[in-house]
Amino acid sequence: MPDPQPGVSRRTALWFTAGSVIALPLGLAGCGSDSSDAVKLTYKQFGSGTIMGDFLRGVVNEYSASGSGSAVDLIPLVASENDYYTKTELMMSSGRTSPDLVYEDTFILRSDVAAGYLRPIDDYLATWPDWKLYYPTTQDAVKYTDGKHYGVPLSTDTRAIWFNRKLLAKAGLPETWQPKTWDDILTAARAIKQKLPGVIPINIWSSKAMGEATSMQGFEMLLYGTDSTLYDESRGKWVTGSKGFVDALQFMRTVSAEKLGLQLSDALDPNMGDRLYNVLWPNEKIAMAVDGSWIPGAWIGGSWPDWSKSMSVAKMPTQHGAAPGLVTMSGGFCWAIPKHAQHPDKAFDFVRTMCNRKNNTDYCIKDSQIAVRSDTAAEPTYQKSTPTTKFMTDLVKSTTYRPALAPYPQISNAIQIACEAMLIGSKTPAAAAATYDSMLIDIVGRDQTMKAGA
Amino acid sequence: MSTEAPALPRTAKRPRSREAAVKTGSSGILLIVAFLFCIPLVWVILASFDKNASLAVSWPGSPTFDNYRGVLNEKTTYRPIWNSLLLCGGGTIITVVCAALAAYPLSRYRSRGTRPFLMTIIFASGLPITAIMIPVYAMFVQVNLIDSMPAAAAFLAASSLPYAIFLMKNFMDGVPHELEESAWTEGAGMVRTLWSIVLPLMRPGTAVVTMLTFVGMWGNFFVPFMLLLSPDKLPAAVSLFTFSSQYGQVQYGQLAAFSILYSLPVALLYLLLGRRLRDGFVAAGGVKG
Amino acid sequence: MAAVAETSTMPVDPRRSGNSDPARTARRGMPLLPALVLLLIFMAGPVIYSIYLAFTNKAVRGEGADSTSMVGFANFTEAFSQPDFWNAMWLTLVFTVVSGVIGQNVLGMALALLLRKCAAWVSWITGTVVIGAWIIPEVVAGYLWYTFLSGDGSLNKVFGWFGLGPQDWLISAPIVAVSFANIWRGTAFSMLTYSAALSQLDPEVEESAAIDGAGPMRRFWSITVPLIRRSIMTNLLLTTLQTLSVFGLIFVMTGGGPGTESQTLPLYMYEQAFSFGQLGYGTAVALLLLLVGGVAALAYLKVLPKEDL
Repeated sequence: MPDPQPGVSRRTALWFTAGSVIALPLGLAGCGSDSSDAVKLTYKQFGSGTIMGDFLRGVVNEYSASGSGSAVDLIPLVASENDYYTKTELMMSSGRTSPDLVYEDTFILRSDVAAGYLRPIDDYLATWPDWKLYYPTTQDAVKYTDGKHYGVPLSTDTRAIWFNRKLLAKAGLPETWQPKTWDDILTAARAIKQKLPGVIPINIWSSKAMGEATSMQGFEMLLYGTDSTLYDESRGKWVTGSKGFVDALQFMRTVSAEKLGLQLSDALDPNMGDRLYNVLWPNEKIAMAVDGSWIPGAWIGGSWPDWSKSMSVAKMPTQHGAAPGLVTMSGGFCWAIPKHAQHPDKAFDFVRTMCNRKNNTDYCIKDSQIAVRSDTAAEPTYQKSTPTTKFMTDLVKSTTYRPALAPYPQISNAIQIACEAMLIGSKTPAAAAATYDSMLIDIVGRDQTMKAGA
Repeated sequence: MSTEAPALPRTAKRPRSREAAVKTGSSGILLIVAFLFCIPLVWVILASFDKNASLAVSWPGSPTFDNYRGVLNEKTTYRPIWNSLLLCGGGTIITVVCAALAAYPLSRYRSRGTRPFLMTIIFASGLPITAIMIPVYAMFVQVNLIDSMPAAAAFLAASSLPYAIFLMKNFMDGVPHELEESAWTEGAGMVRTLWSIVLPLMRPGTAVVTMLTFVGMWGNFFVPFMLLLSPDKLPAAVSLFTFSSQYGQVQYGQLAAFSILYSLPVALLYLLLGRRLRDGFVAAGGVKG
Repeated sequence: MAAVAETSTMPVDPRRSGNSDPARTARRGMPLLPALVLLLIFMAGPVIYSIYLAFTNKAVRGEGADSTSMVGFANFTEAFSQPDFWNAMWLTLVFTVVSGVIGQNVLGMALALLLRKCAAWVSWITGTVVIGAWIIPEVVAGYLWYTFLSGDGSLNKVFGWFGLGPQDWLISAPIVAVSFANIWRGTAFSMLTYSAALSQLDPEVEESAAIDGAGPMRRFWSITVPLIRRSIMTNLLLTTLQTLSVFGLIFVMTGGGPGTESQTLPLYMYEQAFSFGQLGYGTAVALLLLLVGGVAALAYLKVLPKEDL
């Protein structure tokens, strides 16, 4: 049987070469985005939320109309938290894909500075009079260890104890309840448990499934009310073996052991947030919770428009009532300029418009955020936007930011593991703290840690 | 005669009645299994008609199409599904064409390289794609292919090729050689033989490969998320993540409605290829080694 | 089986002789070209890069992102010293054996056997439902099972009808819960494979065995199984490899939790690489996962005779 004739074979060869070229649409692609002068801006779109997108489109219109401005391309990224960080980091790592302005969580900012993705913006800030109006605590949140600033904070959040004053009243507690110590909180929770069966006395996030909420709204709100800390700023070392760490875990253990919190299966449920905010709170089935300033955002125009008729907020006390008598933690986003940005000048120019008094106020109100500028905070429209806004804003002056260094996400994970052990009761607080210490040493190396009190 | 006559049908009847019992029993068990398989689907159907759906299974107070109306718009459903069709359809075509071409020599000729190649292919089909996404991203940045739909489709195609080639080769082994030999004597080239003789004989097998490839791509969230940027290029798998909002609330009703709409194209493809799907497996004598 | 006849006709094919002609080999290999080009560029490239990464301290954020250096086998020794890694490895094996090797194969085989004996309409309904579960996108399947098993879910409703107390398998036995979901999702493939294999069997062989007085179990083990042995081995291999890399289903249902009780290797790898930005370490874990798949593949191939591939 003869092989195919040479002519056919050559045609076949051509056919395959052509085929492989077509199969590989390299070059045919509408490569990258346009190389125009437009400022490229990436931001995280929270699910179907349009607040940020609407806000930015409004600013873009204003900016373009002002004459000076060039075009601005908005690139929303819809994704889970981790995927968003990783995606933006990958984009920033190359000049081809780098945006000119990026929406950064202050929690990841320093890691990204350390990775060399961002550029300092002090020269721009020096020419921008508004910068002096930012609260010093929020300015520090965007400062790296080299003393330079790498971002303009957009807004922040604060944390405190939310409570349903009607339920507290039924349990014989004052409507203007303000605990002075951790014990006051536990006493109130026990009273509610006794007098109001079927009502969850208190929620303090303690599961790994809730991720950073457990570390921040849960554990750190307790730890920073003790004499101890996570990270010694002056020596630049992570702290092991602190008494405050054990005490904070003990508080969580007490809540769980005395069944003052959510039932175990709910507490471990990764989707509990939704049920807590949209079912338990509006149906008045929970009395107190350590939680963030933004939670009315879920109720306004949603599951509980009348929330303010029942809800109040109290400061989170320190462990034994020591000065300053309150604890609050802050996070929040900022705008940063990548090192590989093509148009850094224009990008900052856009920030001037986006973060001016009017626009910043507008954004904070719409997105239930806490102001980072003193002039915004003083705006009557802002202060009156919800009954708790002013209270939560006043906390900013005494707030603490997380030690947001590169290993923080892993350390936070180790904290969550310790907290979950309290929830389940699988370890004593001291044993869980010891496990944390060894994980910490594993993550950062022994030379980066120090014994508490040493 | 009169004594034997009733005896004969009885002996013939006994196995038949046993057969009937087996048939009833098997049918009963299968119906129970089918019913059990349906239970997880209850929530998505009920919730899609419930304006206030939560994670709990409950009968919608007043059934409504609001959830469907809520998602049936260009931004949420039409464009992402269209993008998915382009991306996964394009990827599937590339995969099936390349796999059919590659399977032909693997099935028809044996050389020293065949077995190692097939082993590598099997091995590669178990590769966790999540693991190589960052290198892939870095590579796409280098050659400036980020945000290109054809390039993303090509990557999807490449990632499903190992499995497709393996299956296709198995199906092709089941097609007799005799017909091809006459075609070869008439001087037909390899492509023409493959196209006009082999492939028509293995339509069911091709249907299986098409279905598997398409379904795999359709559900893939991570690849398009990493490789595409522009919101108007993102496929439906990525839109699934738009139903949770900043405050942790999830619009479960709309999520359910969207899930159903999102599953429709694969369901349609199944209806289209369904019978072939089973024939395909039969034609190959099952997936053999 | 057709396949047996197939291999035996191969040597008769005249075009198979004369492997020594390189030009002819090249010409015959031509149709492989498009697939090879795609695989080399999009798969081999990134895989080789991954192997390189696994030996570095590459990170996407933090100081490690700025300066990457080779660290030898440090990532691997690190993994072997981590209880979390062994936990993930163990869970991966449990998940693969329970849901893939046993669950999907046994249920798939049982369904295939029953499908031969049942009424036509029942076969149609069952087939459609089981295949329906298979074609639903992974993320949607994850949501379905989450709602099915969660506190207020359908399963507890059903338990309620029978007066049984509520369960919370997502919390108390998460790896079992995700395994069940994976059986639900993946059985169709085994069912189709085995149905097809069984349909090729000569009914007379079974009938003569039945006349000899062999019971159904004996007939199955001593006649059916040996005859479709190759289908079984191949199907086991494919389901094992597929199950090892399941990610989305578990991610949506439990996120690996509570704690790390359902954190299989793909989820562990994701956490290390994406949540913690430890790219080098995460890729090393991915390679170890690949190694597990390789060992499984070799084990199955060892059982299969050489000419079957």
